[in-house]
Amino acid sequence: MRPITLVACALTFCTLMGGCKKEEPATARQPADQPKAEGTIVAVGDSLTAGYGVKEDEAYPAQLERKLEAAGYHWKVVNAGISGETSSGALSRIDWILKLKPDIVILETGANDGLRGIDPAVVKRNIDRIVTGLQAHGVEVVLAGMQMLTNMGTGYTTSFVKIYPEAAQAHHLILVPFFLTGVAGDASLNLSDGIHPTANGYKIVTETVYPYTVKAIERKRSKKQSGS
Amino acid sequence: MVNAHFILRQITGARRQSALFVLCVALSMITLVSLGSFNRSVQRSLWRDARALHAADIIVRAHAQLPPPLETEIAALTRNRAITTARYYDFYTVIQKTTGEGSLLSDLKAVEPGYPFYGQVLLASGRPFHEVLTTGSLIAERSFLDRLGVRTGDRVRIGNATLTVKDVVVQEPDRPVNFFALGPRVFVPAADLPAIGLLGKGSRAEYVTLAKLTDQAKLAPVVEALRSAAGESRVRVETYRDADSRVKKFFDNLLFFLDLSGIFTLLLAGFGIQSTLFALLKEQEKTIAVMKAVGAKSRYIIGHFLAVTLLLGLTGTVAGLAASFALQRYLPRLFSGLIPAQVDYAVSGWAVAEGVAIGFIVVLLFTALPLYRLKEVKPRIILGKEEQEGFWTRSTWVIGGTGTLFFFAMVLLKIRDVTTGLYFVGAIVGLVFAAFVLASIILWGLKRLHPKNLALRQALKGLFRPRNASRPILVTLSAGFAVIFAITLVEQNLDASFIQSFPPGAPTVFFIDIQPAQKDDFAKTLGTKGEFFPIIRATINAINGEPVDMAKQRQSRGDNLSREFNLTYRDYLLPDERITAGKALFRNDWQVPQVSVLDTVLKMHQMKVGDTLTFRVQGIPIEARISSIRTRNSSGFTPYFYFVFPPSVLADAPQTLFCAARIAKKEIAAVQNRIVQRFPNISVIDLTETAELFGRIMGKLSTIVRFFTSFSLLAGILIVVSSVFATRYARTQEAVYFTILGARARFVMAVFAVENLLLGVSSGVIALAISQVASLAICRKSLDMEYHPYLAQSLLLVLATTVLVMVVGMAATIPILRQKPVVFLREHAEE
Repeated sequence: MRPITLVACALTFCTLMGGCKKEEPATARQPADQPKAEGTIVAVGDSLTAGYGVKEDEAYPAQLERKLEAAGYHWKVVNAGISGETSSGALSRIDWILKLKPDIVILETGANDGLRGIDPAVVKRNIDRIVTGLQAHGVEVVLAGMQMLTNMGTGYTTSFVKIYPEAAQAHHLILVPFFLTGVAGDASLNLSDGIHPTANGYKIVTETVYPYTVKAIERKRSKKQSGS
Repeated sequence: MVNAHFILRQITGARRQSALFVLCVALSMITLVSLGSFNRSVQRSLWRDARALHAADIIVRAHAQLPPPLETEIAALTRNRAITTARYYDFYTVIQKTTGEGSLLSDLKAVEPGYPFYGQVLLASGRPFHEVLTTGSLIAERSFLDRLGVRTGDRVRIGNATLTVKDVVVQEPDRPVNFFALGPRVFVPAADLPAIGLLGKGSRAEYVTLAKLTDQAKLAPVVEALRSAAGESRVRVETYRDADSRVKKFFDNLLFFLDLSGIFTLLLAGFGIQSTLFALLKEQEKTIAVMKAVGAKSRYIIGHFLAVTLLLGLTGTVAGLAASFALQRYLPRLFSGLIPAQVDYAVSGWAVAEGVAIGFIVVLLFTALPLYRLKEVKPRIILGKEEQEGFWTRSTWVIGGTGTLFFFAMVLLKIRDVTTGLYFVGAIVGLVFAAFVLASIILWGLKRLHPKNLALRQALKGLFRPRNASRPILVTLSAGFAVIFAITLVEQNLDASFIQSFPPGAPTVFFIDIQPAQKDDFAKTLGTKGEFFPIIRATINAINGEPVDMAKQRQSRGDNLSREFNLTYRDYLLPDERITAGKALFRNDWQVPQVSVLDTVLKMHQMKVGDTLTFRVQGIPIEARISSIRTRNSSGFTPYFYFVFPPSVLADAPQTLFCAARIAKKEIAAVQNRIVQRFPNISVIDLTETAELFGRIMGKLSTIVRFFTSFSLLAGILIVVSSVFATRYARTQEAVYFTILGARARFVMAVFAVENLLLGVSSGVIALAISQVASLAICRKSLDMEYHPYLAQSLLLVLATTVLVMVVGMAATIPILRQKPVVFLREHAEE
């Protein structure tokens, strides 16, 4: 019994130290730090994932990790969001993402392409490639659906919104129909710029993403079981 | 009792000196009045310009419809006729061609009639904006037409509506405030918005309400009313006065510099007045002595000469004012294009009054010493044996002190800052002292020379002949030249910093979001040289292990550490960067990751070389030690990065590339189309128009600076002329003696030439030494910019002053040589 207690103490100590010293949740560290995690979920995305303008622990990945934990899913959620990133940027950093050894990736991208009026076909192609790359490494992908601002024009928004269900269908992905359901367009849930959610906004985003994440976990588990 | 006949005789008897005196006064008057008027015009137009930059007095910005209480308040203010309003809605949208394929992201501005309240939207056709922008029409930037491939008269699709391209916008008053746009500007009438149907839930637009005050004095209460009605909502109520003060600061700097150069010109003109008067009185010394001998009191004599100076001063003032008014006809051409709004360049009454008052004081001040000296003229001088008393008598100190106080008061009046005033007066005292010390040293050295050449020896002797004022002349000349040199050097540096900010090769187009794999192909497609900068996004979490207090950082008004930063990596400094702390950009002897920090970051949080910063680069913490602090000296559009890492630290991190390139205006549309077609993910930011506008303004500004500094150059020439006149009598005498002793005209000429040469070179060298130190201090301390010594130009300046002294000196000497010795002797024997 004794050695185990010691190890547990040491682990707790490490985690605490890590938490204090770096102000960096243990989530970003190597899996070895948290042996109890069943797997790693990497939240890939832009400012909507990074949590632009809110504290790190208020952004959706941190909230999602807490929610999963509370429900008994001991999964680590890494926030790999980069503000301002387009789908092309996401495609370029696939190798970096794979270094984090994800079991599941929640892919939220394309919003910045949309804001810059980039051809939806480009976004579609990028997402196809990202997903193919991830799936080749056995990663389960949850694709966050996105819509575009009405002011971009109907022609643009219609072709934009189609990207996500089409990609999900083509690659058998779990699709979150719209990442910002109940948040987009509501001034009280967004920062003054009107497009980035507040901490409360992220609470709703977390609720939206949660069931699909659980679905991905279940899928991953069943694959593992059938694999072993 | 004043004897008018006597006064007239004095003036006509010394026509050259009188003319010079009048010129000096006139010059100081022109400087004062022109600068004063320019200053007022700029101040006035700056506010007008600030209004034009915002197109209104008050600007209410929101991202949605305004909250009801604010709408009620605006309606009430409009009803009371306190304000008039016009709204506009600004958002991005993809505009499509109606025929064939093609769409373009554009920055749409839907404006209500009335926009802009200040400034003008200029159209290519020259027609009034509001007449062209009727329902169903659209006005766009040239690049919109080029990139979409449409022409005026074509129809394009915006949202649910089809509009006709009616005209091309050439200038938009409030464009510079947010010039960093992803797409070209397109104007549509706000009345077409319902048909377009792009605003509403799910859109993102800026809702702007512009207000124009009926009574400018009510700005504060109206803003207060609007702000309280806006309450805690996210609506921002701004005024044109809160506007970005960078432009204002720049003009403050410019006006400060011009004011200084104006005061210097005044000072130089003052020196000129004083030395002319000395020369004038010197020639009259014997007359005065005779007057005294026959019983005239000092008061009587001083009174009469005061009347002479006042009459000359008045003539100078009138001439100066006349010239200033004449100059106003030229000034508009000089200033046109500098400020978009029309500026009235009229001579301001206040500037005239101020100029006359100051001019009068300057005349009194600089004539005080020579006039006071009249008391010391003894009747014995008639016999020609009296040596002058020393220069530094008590009266000199008293009058010098009064002068210093006066200039201190001037600086306070103009610059309204005691510290600057003290610096300035200290600088002038230091200048005269330095000139005095250096002149003494040079004269001491020259006295010890014993050259073999006779002419040279005679010239040297000439410098030390009794009653020759070599030292005062040298001090005056070198102080004057030092000022001119300093102004020239500072101006060169100012100019260089303008040009550095907008060098001929400065980038005009930026490309963002280039993926590393696209780099080579992109460079090829671009077809011209582009500079690439890798960008890695990250946040700062801790400084020396101490977590950054994000909440506190966010409260900061300016830029702060709570946001995400663009990091980059390279192992060299950019041309416009220099290291202010640390041995090199990166240290070879450090094994840990390093980072070089731009000095701007130090304003957000204290940090120094050796501190450790903890970054979070996309989920991965990186601890880096600060190896150096950098500063950059250009303020233009050259890209810069707060944090620069060595390639080894960040080269593998996920990154995008940013490319800055210079592309000729007419090729931009083609290049953009080529790039976007091949790399649809890359966005283009075109700054050509803005860069061009700024470049034009900067060019104009340097012309203005040169214009005003040329006044001081003129004053310098007057000083040289007047100091030659001051020694004219002694020279004539000497020439006569040389000739009597059998010297040829050529020899006499050589002696004078060498003497002038020695004076010219000495004063030039002294001036150069002083001005280099002074300009370095001014550039580094007051203007906060890089300093270049411009050695070649400096030597040219010395050469030019030497030539100037020689030419003026010889021009004044040649008539002396033409004079027959016998005439001189007879005339002077008669006295």
